Amino acid sequence: MKKFLSFVSVVLIAVFMLSALAACKKEETDKLVIYNWADYIFDEELDDFEAYYQDVTGRKLETVYVTFDTNETMLTRLTKGDSNVDVVCPSEYAIQKLIEMDMLLPMNYFDEDAYVNEFSANVDRSKYVHNSGNVEQGICDKVNETFGSIEVLNESSDDYGKTRRMTDYFVPYMYGTLGILYNKEEFRGMQIYDEETLNNANWGILFNDSGKRDAEGNIIPLADELAGKILLKDSIRDSYAATVFYLLESGRLDGLTNDEGKAYADMSASELINAVDDRLLEEVKQALIDQKDQLFGYEVDFGKDDLLADNAYVDLAWSGDAMYAVEESWNDELDDYELGYYLPHSTGNLWFDGWVVPKKCDPTHMDAIRLFINYLNRPEVAAANMYSIGYSAAVKPQAIKDDPRACAVLARDYVVYAPEFWDVAEDPNAEKPKYIMEKIEQEDCDFVDWEEFELYFFHNSYFDGDEIVSYDEISHSNWRYPFESAQTNADNYRNLDSLGVMRDFGDKNHDVVTAWNYARSTGVDAKPILGWTVLAVAVAVGAVFLVIQLKRVARHTVRSRNNEKEN
Amino acid sequence: MKKFKFRFTRRAFAYPYMIFLLLFVVVPLVLILINAFLDESDKFTFQNFAEFFSDAGGGLTVLGNSLIIGLVTTLICLVIGYPCAYLLAKYHASNRVLVLLFILPMWVNFLIRTLSTKAIFMALDVPLGMGTVLFGMVYNYLPYMILPLHTTLVSIDHSYIEAAEDLGADKLTVLLKTVLPLSLPGIVSGITMTFIPAISTFAISEILSSSKIFLFGDAINMHFSKATNSFGVGSVMSLVMLVLVVVANVFVNLTSKDEEVKSVL
Repeated sequence: MKKFLSFVSVVLIAVFMLSALAACKKEETDKLVIYNWADYIFDEELDDFEAYYQDVTGRKLETVYVTFDTNETMLTRLTKGDSNVDVVCPSEYAIQKLIEMDMLLPMNYFDEDAYVNEFSANVDRSKYVHNSGNVEQGICDKVNETFGSIEVLNESSDDYGKTRRMTDYFVPYMYGTLGILYNKEEFRGMQIYDEETLNNANWGILFNDSGKRDAEGNIIPLADELAGKILLKDSIRDSYAATVFYLLESGRLDGLTNDEGKAYADMSASELINAVDDRLLEEVKQALIDQKDQLFGYEVDFGKDDLLADNAYVDLAWSGDAMYAVEESWNDELDDYELGYYLPHSTGNLWFDGWVVPKKCDPTHMDAIRLFINYLNRPEVAAANMYSIGYSAAVKPQAIKDDPRACAVLARDYVVYAPEFWDVAEDPNAEKPKYIMEKIEQEDCDFVDWEEFELYFFHNSYFDGDEIVSYDEISHSNWRYPFESAQTNADNYRNLDSLGVMRDFGDKNHDVVTAWNYARSTGVDAKPILGWTVLAVAVAVGAVFLVIQLKRVARHTVRSRNNEKEN
Repeated sequence: MKKFKFRFTRRAFAYPYMIFLLLFVVVPLVLILINAFLDESDKFTFQNFAEFFSDAGGGLTVLGNSLIIGLVTTLICLVIGYPCAYLLAKYHASNRVLVLLFILPMWVNFLIRTLSTKAIFMALDVPLGMGTVLFGMVYNYLPYMILPLHTTLVSIDHSYIEAAEDLGADKLTVLLKTVLPLSLPGIVSGITMTFIPAISTFAISEILSSSKIFLFGDAINMHFSKATNSFGVGSVMSLVMLVLVVVANVFVNLTSKDEEVKSVL
């Protein structure tokens, strides 16, 4: 009996395992592991991509979305951990670092033939459209101008000492500027909401410096009420850049030269923020320490809330976050946005994030990787992502304007009255209709027609009668598209050269961290608190004992008096 | 050679926890120790120690500030907490609700508590800074001071007090010569339970001073999560923290003869 039972169980297990194997074969799914910032893609795009992948290759795909919160976490995980991820979306300086460590596979996205030839036989080429033409060319130019050729510094690599071009390794995804998010209402109240005042102060806004000096050369503050209402980002690199810009325009770098004898004042924006020599670091450290009296604090996540609650009036912010905050801050009573974004007109920082493929990726996922990167550069996908996360996609605005589906996506998301896009053809393979819009009445829409929306979205302006007026008379900055505004706005004084891109600080990284830590830790003096507390406690305890002692004495005398009476 | 044989005894129930401890307590500690001696390219170095103790990044200043703030917090907690615990213990039998009221704040998540404290301060126009941070610390750690004190005070045999009173001691003498010495173990464990978290905290100072007051916990956090290639100095700082905790515990063991308190540590 026992033998029979064990035989049966063995057979059962065998059958079960075989059927499991068979099931595996039938459901052959490919996989793609995406390593990206949290909330940095429109969720539905992942499902849509899976459908698109099945259409092009005839195979099922499962996407896995893993997130990181800082470039540093991502770098640590890629270099020290053994995590296998297929595509990663770091910032420019982290990409430089990864190339130096020789950890990336060349993608050659901008060489269409090379890119397409890498596909396996599974990919149906007739269904594939290469989208590299949609990418904003200015980004690639700026990247090559800033980073030039990057040398591989990893001694254990076969390619040690060889040079690489960053554009061969990454595909731009999102980009933007670093600027100042401020409370418009409070600025109006302090009477500093005008172009001349702000353009005089520039980055000095963060330091409560109006840019003007009195007869003795002392700083005249921008507004007395601004003291204690300024937020700085708790991010070393961004705060460093803002401080360096401030030092330059406030004249504190005049006459100073770097180690090689070049004057800081003669440097371009890019050169300046990447010049991390000791003298500049010392100046930055001092400026950050001096700034402390003016600060409300260092912002990590609550910057927008603090601004809307009037806890602080000014914050250092990335354009995408700022734009999101501004759009959220619409106030019906004021008929205006409560917050504004100001891009200092003197100098600034341009940043971008892009997709790269680590060497440690799974080579069998290559088709999915290449299709995914290309898929994100479709105008309608970029449009959906932009609405969802608030940042500017690297797809150029003209490509979005020319694509009816992208327009339909934007019109739907921003509630635009645009009958011309009501009947945009659906992709027959899409699982659910994506571009069909609810046919909302014109008066219920936020924008009365597509033209008005286009002005708002691409140019940050609106019609006043027949005249085109900028929404933000202060900034003159097109929130979303710095490149476009630099090219098309005739009266825009900002040009692309004034926007610097930050490289990795390399050996100096550590010194910058040390300087930042030093600036953060000084200015807090806890010793008086200790003295006062000890004093207070001593006084309190002493008083209690005194009272008790007095009571005791009093009772004693009463008792002895009573004793005397009895005697 | 004696062979290891797995016997299913009561001890076996402890194995999963021991493995857990090994993996998530001992191994990370060893990693911190190793990291403290590695430079950016993973080569052996003493540079991290030199950097921390030379105060180049303000590490020592921050440590000093943290210690002072921890001390002040503990002191205030003790001064407020002792009378509180004494009264609670006195009315313990008659009013258990009172004890509950003191523990109640601990049921609310500490981040929510701290964020609400900030909202209240902002609404009252109190400027955020050292004062608000201290308030937050005392507010958060007071229950940790009261609870051990309360437990010790409740467990004091009342006949000692009666005996002292019978022998003619007045109330103050009873408090000073009978209750206070008997509650010493509670005081010591209350102090450690407040002081150790108070010197390593970073969330409270971050929220209640908008990160203006930079404590040791913030500095360690910065080295690990916000800076590249800074694990070395961060590890040294964590080690310093560890040494402080060990010193505090040794101090407790030395001062307290009570077995109960020792076994807690």
